[in-house]
Amino acid sequence: MTSQHSTGRGPGRRIPLLAAAATGILALALSGCTGQGTSTSNSDTGSGGKITLTFWNGQTGPDGPAMNKVIDAFNKSQSKVAVKSVTMPWDTLYQKLLTGAASKGGPDIVALDFTQLPKYASQGLFQPLDDYYKDSAHDTDTLPKAATTASVYDGKNYGVPFDIATTMMYYNKTLFKQAGLDPDKPPTTWDEFAAMVPKLTKTPAGSSKPDQYAIALADNNTVDMYPQFLWNTGGGIVSEDNKKSLLDSPETLKALDFWVDLVKNKQASPIGLSGADADKLFNSGKAAIEINGPWATTGYKDAGIDFGVTRPFAGPDGNALLASVETMALPAKDDDATKQAAYKFFDYWTSNDAQLTWAEGSGFPPLRSDDNAKITGNPYPAIFGAKDVVDDSRLLNPGIASGATIVNDVFYPSLQKALNGDGSVEEIFTAASKEVQADLDKDK
Amino acid sequence: MTRTAWLFLTPSLVVLIAFTVYPMIQAGYLSLTNYNLIRAAQWVGFANYRQLFADPAFWNAFENTVIYAVGVTPVTVVLALLLAIFLNRQFVGRGFVRTAIFLPFIVSLGIIAIAWSFLLDPNIGLVSYWLGKVGLVSKQGLLSDPHWALPAVMFVGVWKNVGFYMVMYLAGLQSIPGDLQEAARLDGANAWQRFRSVTLPLLSNQTMLVSVMALIASLQAFDQIYVMTHGGPFFRTETLVMLIYREGFQNLQFGYASAISWVLLIFVFLLSILQFGYFQRRQVRY
Repeated sequence: MTSQHSTGRGPGRRIPLLAAAATGILALALSGCTGQGTSTSNSDTGSGGKITLTFWNGQTGPDGPAMNKVIDAFNKSQSKVAVKSVTMPWDTLYQKLLTGAASKGGPDIVALDFTQLPKYASQGLFQPLDDYYKDSAHDTDTLPKAATTASVYDGKNYGVPFDIATTMMYYNKTLFKQAGLDPDKPPTTWDEFAAMVPKLTKTPAGSSKPDQYAIALADNNTVDMYPQFLWNTGGGIVSEDNKKSLLDSPETLKALDFWVDLVKNKQASPIGLSGADADKLFNSGKAAIEINGPWATTGYKDAGIDFGVTRPFAGPDGNALLASVETMALPAKDDDATKQAAYKFFDYWTSNDAQLTWAEGSGFPPLRSDDNAKITGNPYPAIFGAKDVVDDSRLLNPGIASGATIVNDVFYPSLQKALNGDGSVEEIFTAASKEVQADLDKDK
Repeated sequence: MTRTAWLFLTPSLVVLIAFTVYPMIQAGYLSLTNYNLIRAAQWVGFANYRQLFADPAFWNAFENTVIYAVGVTPVTVVLALLLAIFLNRQFVGRGFVRTAIFLPFIVSLGIIAIAWSFLLDPNIGLVSYWLGKVGLVSKQGLLSDPHWALPAVMFVGVWKNVGFYMVMYLAGLQSIPGDLQEAARLDGANAWQRFRSVTLPLLSNQTMLVSVMALIASLQAFDQIYVMTHGGPFFRTETLVMLIYREGFQNLQFGYASAISWVLLIFVFLLSILQFGYFQRRQVRY
């Protein structure tokens, strides 16, 4: 759920909610009786002292093959450590994580979204990896700061980055042309976008329901799209020191007023979309714009959409965009030998060679930005990893134990309430702000 | 004699104790602690219960659960009875219709709910399309419409279970001796009078069983809600079991989730006792 929880990202990350739920229910039913796979996986030390590490991840999309290519190369590169990848939908992974990572048969390395990490770290599920960063044998200085700090909770670093992704604006050039707009001039500010909404949202004669929308903005179970709007008026959900709720600040309310009006009254986007719904809408040419990560390019290309990717339109007071980081964490039960073996894999994964393979195959920006120029087979890593894009990117609620709860159980439900007209923006978010503050105070 | 009886009972007793009684008691203990599955449970007394009764999320889920149960239970029971009476007659294709109505019960509710989500999808859904044809347009689809989401999942709940209760009623109907109906007919009773004074009283056993089971099932509504709405939009479809899941598996508060489970358990227990008491007094034997 889980989601729950930014239910993972991307196709496969953001697997259709339904399929995820189905596997979720199956997993719930099965997890009582079976562990993951053959349950012999706890860093088997085979003959000759070879350690096999079980690596849980959610790369079920087109990024899976790219990851497996790197893992295969790692396994061939040396004889002491082998990594066995276990890929499952994110929903399933989070459902199994708690029991899995605490038990012997569970994973030795877990990839997870940075927003989920503090919750588990605060419960003692993972071990701090500060020694990895301190030891100069591991080349961590040139990794992007946003990626390495995403896994910091309570002063300790619990993860090594698996990937970093920025979210950009996808726009459908065909729909722009049909609306009489220049397909090479996507909106660069909120006001420009607002002016385009009447042209891009189309309602058939005699109906009150549009059959095409200017943008697909998801308000539940999604890669976060709305939160960056809050940043760009100078507001936000939580202050940068993680201490104060900003949901009732005048800046935040200004952003929310603007977007609730645009979506609710001007039908810029349908209400009640999940991330998967939003993808579907853009994928079927029924939405002109979507904000999404690099994982979406393959699917949209396959669907035959003529799209461009550019920076999302800037707000009146900023042009921050959302980045998300997946991090690799080690369960607290891992012993020292397992940990050292995992460090070998971390070294390899973050190396230039591996990152080149990964970026080329997945479309994600590489963790070594000096690699950007070397990627020739795929245009997207350079776009999503461009210096100005990465520099302006921000993480949502890093290092807050209840960070995911705040977003999914307070922010989105409140937003849905406002979009459905169940109270004024100010009323709803003043109340929501109190809930967020209570959650933050509880974490202290 | 008693030893033999115990021996026969042992297999089911073992299963019952291991999978029902023990977890129940364990949950009762956990509800008095703070527990996250990893660290040892910390005793907190009744703090979870105090927190619970002051928690608006709990009362919201409680309200949704009651609405769900009050809506779904009578509709399911009455519909099951009507279908049973209808399908107790002879007509061509009876077997097919019976099977068609029973079928949803056999298929996993999770899978069925996925199918319904597609049918109700605002853009590609067949049912949404039909509703649109007759002028019932929901801009955002029933499942994300705060007024329609709960009725939609309630409908799926009824549709899923009605076939099973219908079969129970069918069995009951077939056990009513034909001579009773015949005697009533000879005495000049019309169809309604026969139904009212012969059929219905003789089905009171089935009605009791079906009502109790249907009520318990609806108080435990979870699967289709989890799949179709995830409790949304803004918790409008979050039932108590959904809340238990959210607090336990998503927020890692297993102690608190256990406390909600126990409140639900007691609530179900009390309602079941009331139902048994009510039907016991009305039971008819000829």
